[in-house]
Amino acid sequence: MDGWEPKIVAFLCNWCSYGAADLAGVNRLQYPPNFKVVRVPCSGRVSPKMILAAFRNGADGVWISGCHPGDCHYIEGNYYARRKFALFRTLFKHIGIDERRLHFSWISAAEGPKFAKVANEVVDAVKEVGPAQQLVKTKAQVG
Amino acid sequence: MKQYTDTIKATAKRLLEDGTVDCFIGFRKGTMPMINHPVVITDAAKADTLYWDGNCGNNLALYLTGRKADEKIGIVATGCVSRNINLLIAEGQVTREQLYIVGAPCKGMIERRSVEAAVGHREILSVNEEGEKLIVEGKGFKEELNRADHLQRNCVTCRHHNPVEHNDILGSEVSEPAEAPVFTDLEEAAAKSDEDRWNFFQQTFESCIRCYACRNACPMCYCPTCFVDEAKPQWVGKSSDKVDTMTFHFLRAFHLAGRCTDCGACERVCPVDIPVRYLTNKLNRDAQEFYDYSAGLVAGERPLLDQYKLTDIEDFIK
Amino acid sequence: MTSKRFTKEAWGKAVEGLRESYKVWVPAKEGAHHFFKEYTDDITPDFEATKTRMSPKHTVFPQSERMFEYSLESSDADANIMKDTPKDYSPQAVVGVRPCDAYSFNLVKINFDNKEYRDPWWANRYESTTFIGMGCNEPCSTCFCDSVGSGPFDEKGLDVLVYDMGDAYVAKALNEKGEKALAAMNGGQDAAEADLTAAADMAAKVEAPSKVPTDKLRSQKLNDLYDADFWDELASGCLNCGACTFACPTCWCFDIQDESWNREGEVRKRQGDRIRNWDSCMFPLFTLHASGHNPRGLKVQRVRQRFMHKLKYYVDKYDGGTLCVGCGRCVEACPVNIDIRQVFELMNDFSK
Repeated sequence: MDGWEPKIVAFLCNWCSYGAADLAGVNRLQYPPNFKVVRVPCSGRVSPKMILAAFRNGADGVWISGCHPGDCHYIEGNYYARRKFALFRTLFKHIGIDERRLHFSWISAAEGPKFAKVANEVVDAVKEVGPAQQLVKTKAQVG
Repeated sequence: MKQYTDTIKATAKRLLEDGTVDCFIGFRKGTMPMINHPVVITDAAKADTLYWDGNCGNNLALYLTGRKADEKIGIVATGCVSRNINLLIAEGQVTREQLYIVGAPCKGMIERRSVEAAVGHREILSVNEEGEKLIVEGKGFKEELNRADHLQRNCVTCRHHNPVEHNDILGSEVSEPAEAPVFTDLEEAAAKSDEDRWNFFQQTFESCIRCYACRNACPMCYCPTCFVDEAKPQWVGKSSDKVDTMTFHFLRAFHLAGRCTDCGACERVCPVDIPVRYLTNKLNRDAQEFYDYSAGLVAGERPLLDQYKLTDIEDFIK
Repeated sequence: MTSKRFTKEAWGKAVEGLRESYKVWVPAKEGAHHFFKEYTDDITPDFEATKTRMSPKHTVFPQSERMFEYSLESSDADANIMKDTPKDYSPQAVVGVRPCDAYSFNLVKINFDNKEYRDPWWANRYESTTFIGMGCNEPCSTCFCDSVGSGPFDEKGLDVLVYDMGDAYVAKALNEKGEKALAAMNGGQDAAEADLTAAADMAAKVEAPSKVPTDKLRSQKLNDLYDADFWDELASGCLNCGACTFACPTCWCFDIQDESWNREGEVRKRQGDRIRNWDSCMFPLFTLHASGHNPRGLKVQRVRQRFMHKLKYYVDKYDGGTLCVGCGRCVEACPVNIDIRQVFELMNDFSK
């Protein structure tokens, strides 16, 4: 698809990953502009409803990033998130959605370069799959 | 299992008369074949109307939520139902002290759709359980089937037939099958490509009429405002549109992650025969595989997503 | 009035031929049940089917129906203006509809098309519909149509009544609409007097197997029934799932929802529509006010409401019998076996 740029919703935790994004920017590290960032207090705040909402509104991919386990600003938020995401991911694959549309990472506020690296990986992976069509909410198919 | 009836009647009568419980949750014999009527009785005189057989597949733990905090409740519980009770206690919906659990070791509930198919969908007027046989009668026919061939699908894979928590028990424990359960629908799904799995998911849930019987029959779906009814933001549309219907089922299943005991009530009550457990089965198996966790087996254990271990899997996280 | 006799094979072809001048609905198997479906090339009609799982009410009152559409993109000339969704009200024929279901349309019409208000979507579609009904030689064990104003060969609400005589169908037109439809059905011969007599004789012997008492419903005091002591226990098992209301041919409640989405995949170009969906008095949200107050917030209130509406309020308001046609679908669909036949007894025979 020429000229198609994926739209990716990135849920970044305020204390670590969002900070990493800022640091990457300040250091002029290049990463693609395909992200719509949603800043959340903690990766544990991310609910499956939000991930589905992103896809329903036309996101081609979703990326969720939080603090490293043990470093969560709220102590244990990311531990709960880890379990939630593990189960969400396999169920998503079970219904037949390509796993390259969903990405998770632990990126601390000091890891500007990691942020840029993962951002590139995420966009490359979603580009491979193509535009999302499966869960997009459009005109209701009713009479 | 029919022999439980007399004991249930006597127990309910005694508990209501002596004030141990304010209400008793059980079943009455149904007016239709292969279905019984869940009922909450408050009058000891009505205890004689209670009944039990292999058609008591609805999950009675459903009626424990939303009750008054000081109400004392008697309830008949099979293996899966007792696990749901443990979970509801862990989730703060009811306390153990409120409950008098009459445990019912269960040989599995009858799948009426399977019996209906076995007689070619001719109209069935009665089904009687006689030991390991089912005597099925209709207009101009009478057939004998093996009970074991017509169990609910979740009963076939069940490995917790006996109540895990109870005050009283109705009979001797049922032996658990030794071999591990085989989930054929999950095996088949795993062998498919993403595209085939997607098509299967779409087609399977296409006939959903959004009646919410599956949600309403589930004892773990007790949110005062279900996500379906949230309007700001609206997570899922209310029409029978395919994308909305798939969103509903996906999110409902996920809300049951680590909370589903595979009681089969959701599949049992679906008026259009959707195999609703297709999604929750996957989550249950993953919960077992990733975290060695099965819902509600241990009284007082925190729910799956309410606990964590420092060694939880994270190979998928960059 | 015209009557025709068709062999079963000729009937099948005649119904197929109807597709040229009508949108045709027929009972067709899906999984273990039958439903009324649009007769397209991939559908095989099954006129031997007894009761469809869901009633044919969706042929006139679809489960989800788009009413209006609008653009939310401010640069569009017609932004924020509600436009009527174009509808197709060309003639349609529902073939194989049972007398109970046909009668249900008469009862529902009182709600959707009366001197105070005419619902254009329902009424237009109803007026464009011809009901070609099939009488019931062997009503299901859950049927009690006789007790509530209908019957296995009742003609109310039908435009054509068809008798299954075993080797042939005898179709009798009942009015002008029926005449027109029957004229468009080729391959049959004019029915002989003997055919019609045989059909009438056969029909006279058929009775719905189930019976319910209704004689005292009108005279019961409404408030006494409302405050009766049997509601708590009756409602205790209910799941409030709504399966009964969705399967019921006379349940007419709906909810109107506005939805919006991204047009052409552009997040900034929003489009919306106003859709009406079947709703159910069984759902807790049904009577939720914007203030947060809910007059039927308790399950027992909702269960009571449904039965009072069907068996008392409608009876009192219109003096024409209950809002139940005895089809028995709710009895079969209810996942907790709440049996309306028992409720008829409880309400009819109630004394304080």
